[in-house]
Amino acid sequence: MTKSVRTVTVLSLVARALTAQSGGPDPRLVARLDKPTYVAVNAIVDSARAAKLPTAPLVDKALEGAAKGSDGTKIVTAVQQLRVRMTSARAVLGSNATSDELKAASAAFEAGVSDRDLARVKAASGKRPVTMPLAVITDLIGRQIEVSAATNLVIQLEKSGVKDSAFGLFQRNVRADIDRGADPTVAAQTRARGLLQRGATTGKPSE
Amino acid sequence: MEASSDAVVITHVLRGDVDAFGTLVERYRDRYARYAFHMLGNREDAEEALQDAFTRAYRSLPQCEDPERFGAWLFRILVNRCRTVGARRGRRARTFVADETALLSAAEDHPAEQTAWREEIDRALQQLRSDQREAFLLKYVEELGYDEMSQLTGVGVSALKMRVMRACERLRELLSEVHSV
Amino acid sequence: MSDDDVRMSQIARALRAPVRLSASFDARVMAAVRRLPGHERLKLWARLTTPRSVTMVPLTWGLLAASVALFAVLGALHFVVDVDRAAKPIASALFPAQMKPAPQRVQFVLVAPDAKKVAVVGDFNGWDAQHAGYQAQHRGGGVWSVTAPVPVGHHRYSFVVDDSVWVADPSAPRVVDNDYGVPNSAIVVPQE
Repeated sequence: MTKSVRTVTVLSLVARALTAQSGGPDPRLVARLDKPTYVAVNAIVDSARAAKLPTAPLVDKALEGAAKGSDGTKIVTAVQQLRVRMTSARAVLGSNATSDELKAASAAFEAGVSDRDLARVKAASGKRPVTMPLAVITDLIGRQIEVSAATNLVIQLEKSGVKDSAFGLFQRNVRADIDRGADPTVAAQTRARGLLQRGATTGKPSE
Repeated sequence: MEASSDAVVITHVLRGDVDAFGTLVERYRDRYARYAFHMLGNREDAEEALQDAFTRAYRSLPQCEDPERFGAWLFRILVNRCRTVGARRGRRARTFVADETALLSAAEDHPAEQTAWREEIDRALQQLRSDQREAFLLKYVEELGYDEMSQLTGVGVSALKMRVMRACERLRELLSEVHSV
Repeated sequence: MSDDDVRMSQIARALRAPVRLSASFDARVMAAVRRLPGHERLKLWARLTTPRSVTMVPLTWGLLAASVALFAVLGALHFVVDVDRAAKPIASALFPAQMKPAPQRVQFVLVAPDAKKVAVVGDFNGWDAQHAGYQAQHRGGGVWSVTAPVPVGHHRYSFVVDDSVWVADPSAPRVVDNDYGVPNSAIVVPQE
C-alpha cells in the first residue's frame, strides 16, 4: 500500500465546519420577511453570531416586526438597535451574561436605565441572575416611576437578597395598588418596605 | 469575572476573550474619567482621551509587564493622551463648559451651591498652565506621591514640587473671593 | 494644618467628586476594541490559513470523503427540520444536545368582552398569531384564557385580539417598546 501525499487546504475543511455551525438561514425569517429586509436582518444576525452574541433575540425581534405589520426599514432598525443594546449590556454584565440577562438588560436600556445603573444592579446581585430585577425595574419605569427611583428601589431589594418569586409578588402588588389609584412611587416604596420587613430574602445578601 | 484581579482578566483577554476587557473598562473608567475631565475641562475631550487610552492599552496589552498594576500602566497612557488632546486644542484648551459640572456630577445629592463651587474650581483649573494643572491633579486629587508622579510623567521630583506649588498659589489667587463650602 | 492646606484640601475634596460619562461610553470603547486585531484570534487565524502539507493514506482519505459527504447530508437535512429547530446549528446533530430545562405551563388571561378571537404571541412561539397551542378559549363573561408551554427564561409577548389589535397583558410586567409602537409585556419563567 503506497501512501498518497496530498496537500490538503485545511481552510476548506474549516469553512465546511464553520458553515455547519452557522445554522443556515432561519426559514421563519425567509418566510415572513421580504427579500431585502431578510438580507439585511440576516447580516445583522450573522455579525452578532460572529461576536458571540445570542441571535435568538434578534430573530424574535424581526419576527415581532413582521407579525405587527411593520415595514422592512423599521424591522432592520429595530434589530440593529437591539444588537447594539445587547452589546452594551454585555459590556456591563460581562461575557458570561446569559441570553435572558442580555434581553432583560436591553429592555431596561430602552426604558432609560443607564450603563452605570445596570452595573449597580449587577454589583448588588452578586452571582445571582439579574433578569428578574431588571424586568421589575423596566416595569416600574413603564408605570411612571422615575428611572433613578425605580433602580434604587430594586437595588435596595436586591442587596437584601430578595428572591425572584418575591420580586414577582412585589410587581403584582405595586400594579394592583396603582390600578386602585395609588401614586406609583409611593406604592412601590411602600411595598418594598413591606418586603424588607417581612425578610422575603434568600438569607444570603449579595453583599 | 468581575471579582477577578486585573492579572486574571488580562490573561483571559490575551487568550482571545475580547469581552473580558470590558471588565477593565468598567473597573477604571470612573476614576480616570475624573482626571481626564479636570485635565481637559470638557466631557467630549475627556471621553476621547479616555477611550483612546483604553484602546491603546488593549492593543499594547502583551507589553504590560506587570498585569497586577494594570491600573497604573493605564493611567500613564491616559496622562499622555490627555497631554496630546490638550496640546491639539491649543489655546482653546481653556474652554470650560459650566453646565458640564452639573451634568457630570454623579453624586446623589449635589446642592446648587456645591455645584457652583465645583464650577468655580474647574474654571480656575483651566486657567492654570497644563503642566501645573497636571501636577496639581496628580498630587491633590489622585493623591500620588512625588516618586509615583515622577515615574508617571517622566518629570523630576523637584520640578514637580515647583509645579504643584505654583498651581496652588495660582488657584488661591483665582479662588480668593469664593467662599468654601 | 495651615489655612492654605485646609483650602487646598477643600478644593481637592470637591474635585474628587465622581464624574459621569455618557451612557454609551463603555459600548463605544468595546466597539473600538473589537475593531482591533484580537490577541489569540489573530494567532489562531494565522494557524488556520497557513497552507501546510498533510500526509494522506487511503484509509484517512476515505474517512475525509465520508465526513464531507456527511456534512453535505446534514446540510440538506437542515431545511427539512421543523421550524422550532430551525435556529439550531447543524453541528448540534453530531454532538449530544445540551439538556435544557423543560418549558413551564403558564396561564395567560385577558378580559376582552367584545373579542371574537384572542391569541398569545411572543418570543416563545416565534410571534406567530396562528400558532395552534396559543389560541385562547373564551371561558364566559368576556374572560379568555390559554395555558401554554413557555420555556424557562425572559420573553416578551402580547395578546392579539381579532388578528388585528395588539394588547399588552395588563397583569404582567411591562416593556417599553419603542421599536414598533405597540406595547409588549414581559414574562420571566423561573427554572423549577
